Amino acid sequence: MVLQKQKYTMKLGFKIWIFIFALLFAFFSIAPWKYFESGVLISSVTTNSTAFEQGLRPNQIIKFIDGEKINSLADYTNILSEKFNSNQTTKTIIQTKNSEIILFSNKAPEITVSEIPKTNIKTGLDLSGGARALVKAKDKELSTSELSDLISITENRFNTYGIADVKVVPVKDLSGKNYMEISIAGATPKDLQELVSKQGKFEAKIGNETVFIGGEKDITSVCRNDATCARIELCDTTDGGYYCKFSFAITLSQQAAENHANITKDLEINSTAQGNYLSKKIDLYLDDNLVDSLLIGEDLKGTVTTQISISGSGQGTTQLEAYDDAKASMKKLQTVLLTGSLPFQLEIVKLDTISPTLGKEFLKNITLLAMLVFLVISIILFVKYRNIKITLSVILTMFSEAFITLGIAALIRWNLDAPSIAGIIAGMGTGVNDQIVILDESVSNLNLGIKERIKRALFIILGAFFTIFAAMLPLFWAGAGMLKGFALTTLIGVSVGILITRPAFAEIIKRIGE
Amino acid sequence: MEQEIKKSKFEKFHDKYYKLLLIIPIIILIISFFYIGKIYSQTGDFLYKDVSLSGGTTITLNGDIDLTKLENELSKNFSGISFTTLTDISTRKPTAVVIQSRSSVEELKPAIEKILGYSLNDENSSIEFSGSSLGEDFYKQLLIALIISFVLMSAVIFILFRTFIPSIAVIFSAFSDIVMPLALVDYLGIKISAAGIAAFLMLVGYSVDTDILLTTRVLKTREGSLNHRIFGSFKTGMFMTITALAAVLPAFLLMTSLPDSFRQIFIILSFGLLADIMNTWLTNVSIIKWYCKSKNIQ
Repeated sequence: MVLQKQKYTMKLGFKIWIFIFALLFAFFSIAPWKYFESGVLISSVTTNSTAFEQGLRPNQIIKFIDGEKINSLADYTNILSEKFNSNQTTKTIIQTKNSEIILFSNKAPEITVSEIPKTNIKTGLDLSGGARALVKAKDKELSTSELSDLISITENRFNTYGIADVKVVPVKDLSGKNYMEISIAGATPKDLQELVSKQGKFEAKIGNETVFIGGEKDITSVCRNDATCARIELCDTTDGGYYCKFSFAITLSQQAAENHANITKDLEINSTAQGNYLSKKIDLYLDDNLVDSLLIGEDLKGTVTTQISISGSGQGTTQLEAYDDAKASMKKLQTVLLTGSLPFQLEIVKLDTISPTLGKEFLKNITLLAMLVFLVISIILFVKYRNIKITLSVILTMFSEAFITLGIAALIRWNLDAPSIAGIIAGMGTGVNDQIVILDESVSNLNLGIKERIKRALFIILGAFFTIFAAMLPLFWAGAGMLKGFALTTLIGVSVGILITRPAFAEIIKRIGE
Repeated sequence: MEQEIKKSKFEKFHDKYYKLLLIIPIIILIISFFYIGKIYSQTGDFLYKDVSLSGGTTITLNGDIDLTKLENELSKNFSGISFTTLTDISTRKPTAVVIQSRSSVEELKPAIEKILGYSLNDENSSIEFSGSSLGEDFYKQLLIALIISFVLMSAVIFILFRTFIPSIAVIFSAFSDIVMPLALVDYLGIKISAAGIAAFLMLVGYSVDTDILLTTRVLKTREGSLNHRIFGSFKTGMFMTITALAAVLPAFLLMTSLPDSFRQIFIILSFGLLADIMNTWLTNVSIIKWYCKSKNIQ
């Protein structure tokens, strides 16, 4: 008899232990203590910059600059803008969490920083701001391998262009259509649309003959970020505005250089007042649009030359605008020359650029809403059961369910968007419903054993679990997975409920009942 | 004692008229069908789609914007354009204006910039664009998902109860739980987004738990009379639904301060829960009682 009693207590403990373990796991996964951490997080470091060479890397946390404590993003920008307002080379001591780095430079370190996330919970684009594009090929269905090519070229383009924190993933929808989803957290780059949707087909032609095209087969290197071979040359007025010219050097492969020699060797030489040039120009096309036409000097006739200068221009209503436009055009051209063309034309079918301002507001309101939901349910439960123990245990279970769901979301680095959070709240709703079933079953039909009654309650709960599971499942694929989060959090929530919290809750009620 | 008599009076009433009570939900269901049919014949769809499903642009302007000027100017040039104001939760002051139109970003954005006198960037606004073919695709897929979801749910119910009529009663009740809210959102002219349709999927799973409770209590146990078991599950089930509705209520109070996807989900869930009260406790109860009486289950 004594033995039996002992076994029973151990079994009771098992479910509650799992529950406690799950809570602890969620706590460590969410890492709420990060809330108290000070400093700024390095989100990207320009490769080959001084900062990079000295050992600054993404994900490091900057604690002090020149001995001054950095508490926020504002501290960081204030200190640096004060330090680097003149062009003088100064010494900067950056203290990260584990190291100290000293830089000598006349400009601010080439890194981007962001606020340290308060917890490991990540919020989606609609709440944290940023940009998202859904892209497909124009008039063509992409195969899986074509899609993965597209993704690697696109990733390469973003990296080359210098946009950090980009996520490019393949998306397949219910009807088997393939898309590429690009998301950039926190910011919206100005050139996103062009970078994404431009095929990037670069051709240099003399007459009708192609001399070389963009990509590493023909172009071995492109001069960038080096004023000796890539610069904005001259700005001038034009009809009602300004224009600026840019030029940069590229190195052709031997094959492309020989191509150039073969085509130019038969051209005639024209003499003009500015000098002697070949009879045909070299025309530069980007996505079938003429970017620039360059005269070819007579000395290049029939010679195998691997060094070529590419030029173009930018316009604007003011000189500054024209300068910026030229700079941006140069950067774009350099990017496509390096990364090559996409094998097909693209179409942006969805493009969202979300301001972070509103998202913050929404997040605040949703948190308030979740608290109100807790409060209302607590009051109703207390009014109905008039038992503080029962009310508290229901509330505790409901809270744990949401908490463990958040823990799992943090662990798998799921970006919680608004529908995901709605899923968590709705999951809490089903959780409470199930607990009401357990409570009512346990007090009804007292001629049945408590075990038997709980068993029946679990049948109802399992039934409800499987129906909601079945009902939400198709959302994982429908609509290019845009509502995956809603389905995912709901399913995690009800699964946590059925596997962890409700068995524990049933045990607690059993104990209260006994 | 008095309560006992009252209860038995209600029992008598229910025993006598439960079949007749079925007429109420059936009439409402038929009216719902007619209304949805009317919308379908007018628009070619079962519901009013927002731009995430029909294709178009949503521009959200942050800050307290002069809406009347925007509304007047934009309505002239863009047909079917809609405006929503978001407000701060505590001060109730406008925090943003949401403009939806089927036009492209290239048309709508300059028009708004011209009226406001400043250019839109990611500091002062959010811009969402869905191509019309994509919207159409999403819509079709979500409808297919809804059908799949319903079929899967039905399969689960059949596996759970393994008897034809009681399972059909649950499934029919779930079906009504979808049709009635749909008619209601149509009647109110609410434009449904992708998140809204996702909410209908959730409703498929969410609304049947009271039906499962009822069917389990009635068929899987034999304690007390049939009526006793039905009324017992009514008490539990109603409390479940009331709690769930109460959980949805705060969302209504904060409605204009929440993201659109949130609003859609909560509106549709609450309509579904309301419909579920009738569909479980009139439709499902009447069918299962009828079934039990004919099978002599006491």
